[in-house]
Amino acid sequence: MIVDFRWSPEHVDFRENLRAFIRDWRTPELLQEYAETYGGGGERIGAFHRAIDERGWMRMCWPVEVGGGGRDTLYQYIFVEEMEYWGMPYGNLTFTSIAPSILAFGSEAQKQQYLPGIYRGELCFALGYSEPNAGTDLASLRTQATREGDEWVIQGQKIWTSLADVSTHIWLAVRTDPSASKHGGISIIIVPTDTPGVTIRPLHTMYGGHTNETFYDDVRVPLDHVVGEVNQGWPIIMHALNHERVALAATGALARIYDQLVDHLASEKADRLSDPVVRRSLAELQLELREHRALALRNAWIIAQGGTPISEASMAKISGTELRSGLANRAMDLLGRAGGLSADSLDGAPMDGRAEFNFRLSPIFRFGGGTNEVMRDIVAAAGLGLPR
Amino acid sequence: MNLDLTETQRLMQESLGGFLEAHVSLDQVRDLERNQGWDKALWKKLAEQGWLELVIRDGCEGADLVDLSLAVECLSRRAALVPFMEVAVCSRVLRASDADGATRSKIAEGDLVVTPALLEAVDDWNRIEAKVTSAGRLSGAKHFVDYGAEATHHLVAAKQDGEMGLFLVDANNARCEPLKTIGRTPSCQATYEAVPAERVAGEEAFIDMILLGRSLAALQCVGAMEEALEKTVQYARLREQFGQPIGRFQAVRHHCSDMAIRIASSRDLCFEAISALQAGNRDPLRPAAAKASASRAAPEVLMLAHQIHGGNGVIEENDLYFFTLRGKERSLAWGTVDECLEVIGERVDQPVDWL
Ligand SMILES: Cc1cc2nc3c(=O)[nH]c(=O)nc-3n(C[C@H](O)[C@H](O)[C@H](O)COP(=O)(O)OP(=O)(O)OC[C@H]3O[C@@H](n4cnc5c(N)ncnc54)[C@H](O)[C@@H]3O)c2cc1C
Repeated sequence: MIVDFRWSPEHVDFRENLRAFIRDWRTPELLQEYAETYGGGGERIGAFHRAIDERGWMRMCWPVEVGGGGRDTLYQYIFVEEMEYWGMPYGNLTFTSIAPSILAFGSEAQKQQYLPGIYRGELCFALGYSEPNAGTDLASLRTQATREGDEWVIQGQKIWTSLADVSTHIWLAVRTDPSASKHGGISIIIVPTDTPGVTIRPLHTMYGGHTNETFYDDVRVPLDHVVGEVNQGWPIIMHALNHERVALAATGALARIYDQLVDHLASEKADRLSDPVVRRSLAELQLELREHRALALRNAWIIAQGGTPISEASMAKISGTELRSGLANRAMDLLGRAGGLSADSLDGAPMDGRAEFNFRLSPIFRFGGGTNEVMRDIVAAAGLGLPR
Repeated sequence: MNLDLTETQRLMQESLGGFLEAHVSLDQVRDLERNQGWDKALWKKLAEQGWLELVIRDGCEGADLVDLSLAVECLSRRAALVPFMEVAVCSRVLRASDADGATRSKIAEGDLVVTPALLEAVDDWNRIEAKVTSAGRLSGAKHFVDYGAEATHHLVAAKQDGEMGLFLVDANNARCEPLKTIGRTPSCQATYEAVPAERVAGEEAFIDMILLGRSLAALQCVGAMEEALEKTVQYARLREQFGQPIGRFQAVRHHCSDMAIRIASSRDLCFEAISALQAGNRDPLRPAAAKASASRAAPEVLMLAHQIHGGNGVIEENDLYFFTLRGKERSLAWGTVDECLEVIGERVDQPVDWL
C-alpha cells in the first residue's frame, strides 16, 4: 500500500458516530459535573459511561480475551481526540495509562477485577508516584511497603496525587526492598482509596483546581495487590509513564483552543479577522498545531503497528505541552485586554475564558509526566543515540 | 550618556524596597486578592511616608520619571495591590492645570485617587466614543478601568464637539461593575450617564498618557519577571534531585540564563523609553518597543520559572503565581505585543539610529 494519510472509511464512520453521540450527551449539566468532580464523576458522568459501554467504545481496541473488541488502536486515538476536543470525561489517565499497564503486567485475576470496571467508568485510579523529594528523581522514592503475613503494610507520603479524593484506587509506587539498588527495589501496589490509614489533603492551585498530598499510615492491603513481580515495579512505571506521555500529547484540547479563537474572531471581531496581521498570526498557530498533530499521529501509528514509541512519545509530549502554553498565550494576545478575562467575570469572557484558563493550567503539562528537560534527554539518547 | 542610576536613586530604590518588604505581606495580598480588594492600608502608609510625592513632584535632578519608574518596578516586584501607576499617569496630566497645587497635595496625601478610563468595548485606542455635552455632561462606557471602583476619580477619555479630551469625573457618579482578570487585580467596567465632567486636557495629553502608561506597564512586566527569576534562582540552589541542586543541571542553568537575557534587554528598553519621555521626546517608538519586548518576554520567562519550580510552583501557597498572573495581565494592558509591534511596523521606513 502506498503512503496515504487519509483515514479509512471505517475510521471516518466511527468518528462521525462518536461525534453525534457526544453532541447528544454534551449538556451544560454534564460539563459542570465534570468540572466539579475533576473527572471523579457523579450521576451524569456515570450514565454517560454506561452509554459508552453499551457501544463498547472504551474497550474496542483491547484484546478479545478481556472483553475487548480487538480493533486497531487508531480507534482509541480517535476516541481520545474527540473526547479531549469536546472536553468530555472518558476515564482519562485511568483509561490511557493504567489500563494498558494492567493489560501488560497484571495477573489474570487483576485483569478480570479491574478492566471491566475501568471501561464501564466505575473505577478511577489516582497515580501515586511523586513524593516531596522524589520528583524527576522518582527512583529515590521512600514510601515503603513491608510484608507482614499475607499483607503489605505501607508507610509514607506522596504528593501531587491528583484525583485521589475522587478515586476508587491509588496506583502506588512503593519501595519493597530497601537493600536493593535504587531502581531494583520498587513495586506497584494497588491501594483502594478507602483503606484505613490513607489520608488525603488537598493542595489548591493557580488554575483553580486542586491536587492532593496523600499520607499512608500503617495501610494494609493483601499481598496480591502487587502488579507484576515484587521489586519489578520500575519497568511498569516507565511503561505507564510512556502511555501517559502519548496521552498528554493529544491534539484535541489544543485544536479546540484554536477553533474557538477563530470562531470568536469570526463572530465577534470580524474586522480583526480580516486584518492580514491577525490572519498571519492565526496561520502560524495553525501551522504549529499541524506540526504537533503530525507527531501525535505518528505515535498513534507506531502503537497501531504494535510498536512502543519512546523517543517519539517524548517528542510529541514536548511539542504538545509547549504548544498549549504558546497557543493560550497568543490567543490571549490576539483578544487584546479582554483576553485576560476569566470565565466567571462579569458578562463572561471571550472563548468562555478557555485561553486564560489554559494559560494558568499549561505549566503542569510541561513538567508533569516527566519534565520536558528529561524528555529532551530521552530524544537525544534513545532517539538520536547521543552518549548518555 | 549615563546608564546608571544616581546615588540618590539607588538609595530611594533600596529604601522603598525595604519599606515594601516590611509593610506588604504576600499572605495579606493573597487574602485581598481573594476578596477582589486593594491594599488601602498600604496606600495610606505610602502617603504618610511621602512615597506618593513621587507621582507629583518634579524630581531630583529633573529625573522625576525615572524615580517614578523605579517605584513602579519596586511595587510590581512586591505584587502590591495599589493604584500607584494609575495615579501616576493621571497626575502628570492634572498637575499641568493645578496652579495652586491643591490637587497635587491631595494626591500626595492619598486622598485623591484618580485612575485612567480610556479603552472601550472595542479595545482600540483610536476608537473612543464616550461623549461630553457642551454643558459638561459625560456619557459612555469604559472597559478595564483599573482600580475604578476603588478610585475617587476617573480621568476619562471622551470627545466634546468632536475633539478628544481628558475629563475628570467623580467616581461616585460612575457605575462600576467588577471584572475578573487573570491578574486578580481590581478592574472594572464603568458606565457614565450624563455625569458632570471637568475637561482637564486635550488630545496631546491623551497621547502622552498612553506613552507613559505603556512604558510603566512594560516595567510592571519586567518587575514580575525579575521577581520570578530571583525566586527561581533561589529555588534552583535549594531544590535537590539526583543528590545535587537542580541548578547544576545544564538544562536548568540554560533556562535561567535565557530568563536573565530577556529581562536584561526588556528592562533597559523600558528605561530607554522612560529617559526619552523624560527628555520630552514624544516619539511613540521607544515606549512601543519597550512594551512589545516586555509583553512578549513575560509569558515566556514566567513559564520557564514554572518549569524550574515544577509542582511546587503551581500551588497557591507559593508566591510565584502572583508574578505569573500579574505579568501576563500587564502584558495585555496598555497595548499588547501585536499593537506595539504595529506601532514599530508603521515606522520601519524611518531609518533607525543604530550607531
Ligand atoms: C497539578 C499537578 C498534578 C500532578 N499529578 C500527579 C499525579 O497524579 N501523580 C504523580 O505521581 N505526580 C503528579 N504530579 C507530579 C509531577 O509529575 C511532578 O511535578 C514532576 O514529576 C516533576 O517533579 P517535581 O515537581 O518534583 O520537579 P523537580 O523534579 O524538582 O524538577 C525541577 C526542575 O529541575 C529539572 N531537573 C530535575 N532533574 C533534572 C535532570 N537530571 N536534568 C535536567 N533537569 C532536571 C526539571 O526538569 C525541572 O525543570 C503532578 C504535579 C502537579 C503540579
